[in-house]
Amino acid sequence: MSILATQRRSLIVSHTLYDFLAPSLVQTIRTSRVRQCRRCLSSTSNAPAAVASDASPNSSKPKKPLSAIQREFLNRALRVNQAGELAATLIYATQTPPIVNSHPHLRPLMKHMYDQEAGHFGTFNELLAKHRVRPTAMYPVWTFAASTLGWGTAIMGREAAMACTEAVETAIGGHYDEQVRELVNMVDEMERQGEEVGEELRELTGTIRRIRDEELEHLDHAVDNDAKEAKPYELLTGVIKAGCKSAIWISERV
Amino acid sequence: MATKTRPLRLYSKRFYHSYDHPAPGGPFPAIETSILRVSTPHIPTHGFTNTSLSLGAQDAGYLPASTNLFPRGAFSLVHYYLYTQRLALAAHTNITAADAVGENGYVMGVGGKVRALVWERLMANKAVVHRWQEALALMAQPSNIPTSLKELAALSDEIWFLAGDKSVDSSWYTKRASLSTIYAATELFMTTDKSADFIDTREFLDRRLGDVKVVGGAVGSVSQWVGFTAHAGINVLRSKGVRI
Ligand SMILES: [Fe+2]
Ligand SMILES: [Fe+2]
Repeated sequence: MSILATQRRSLIVSHTLYDFLAPSLVQTIRTSRVRQCRRCLSSTSNAPAAVASDASPNSSKPKKPLSAIQREFLNRALRVNQAGELAATLIYATQTPPIVNSHPHLRPLMKHMYDQEAGHFGTFNELLAKHRVRPTAMYPVWTFAASTLGWGTAIMGREAAMACTEAVETAIGGHYDEQVRELVNMVDEMERQGEEVGEELRELTGTIRRIRDEELEHLDHAVDNDAKEAKPYELLTGVIKAGCKSAIWISERV
Repeated sequence: MATKTRPLRLYSKRFYHSYDHPAPGGPFPAIETSILRVSTPHIPTHGFTNTSLSLGAQDAGYLPASTNLFPRGAFSLVHYYLYTQRLALAAHTNITAADAVGENGYVMGVGGKVRALVWERLMANKAVVHRWQEALALMAQPSNIPTSLKELAALSDEIWFLAGDKSVDSSWYTKRASLSTIYAATELFMTTDKSADFIDTREFLDRRLGDVKVVGGAVGSVSQWVGFTAHAGINVLRSKGVRI
């Protein structure tokens, strides 16, 4: 419970820092009750058309516009996820040739993980286009960085490559976990307020949960394949994890 | 302070677009909207001016002095005009439909749809084109530039979206930047065009679109270039016997 609260607070803090275009939002999230009121306010005073379109054929619950906080959260979440999956596909794509060269028995595993990453990447590409979320401006930078990381660790050997996978998947898995929790909170909150949540958010939560589980499966594969034997393990995974965290932070915002 | 930071956030203000939940309200509150809506018909005669605004206020049943609701004066009218014309593009379902057919009788691709939508947007200016330089002058005032640029960026985003473009790599940026530039240049060209049915504007537009190959659908992508260069580099090394 306290972890949830901390995470919620940290999300809020990041908004207060970066959402300077809408400083009024800062106060609105003190309590969810206030936020609800803000939302009612803005939907009645600014958007008569939006209210009119509320009528949904198969539901009696009101459908309100998502709040600016919620939309900003979804916007950032989708953008950073796409960037992460772009990086993941590139890491596996560049690791595969050197690794398979020296360890042919790893070919099916590498292909399996690559295919899953490509699936994740495709999923988020579609979601970005559909929900009109801009991709990260760092796209070319991540392309270069991820390719270098994958290739670099692969030529250091199987253990280093697996340590890279372990570090990346740990960071990504934790990140997805946090997002799932935020989404669940959001859905719970909407249900508590008697609002219609909609399939879109439920589906998104399910999708991210599934992808998180697949990332954690990759993590297990890495550990099974001697990721811990990499030398220098602590340094390598520490640097990569820190890099992932910075990349997540940047991609949410830029 | 806020004005200074806005240009940097051109793209950040556009949030997640939901299909389940209604869109949040636009930039204009209800009373302002009711006045702006009825001010618009006065633009062809009275231009983008306070006169049009106070005539609109009267039409809406307010005192002519209600124009003090608009601290940005006549620019509010320009902003409202840009905003409503942008949203009106979605109504061109004959262009945006997946199987929409172009002038040549073929199903339109993304590039063809972009061209058609830009043209519709320009033609929406036909009635006010003789007052458009007035609008441009207001848009170019330092305090209005952030809003003007944001509207321009939002217009190109809208056009790419309506045209069905799905690219979410770095071409997302190059596409929007080039379309913004092309649109702004063509709109300016149109204010001096005396040709019948704006044929010269159409040619101007087609030349600009051709320059960046929007119609061909091959607007340059930085990431493609980076990826290509990296692969080429690795292949060169491999050909030299380096085991990578
Ligand atoms: Fe993934
Ligand atoms: Fe993964």
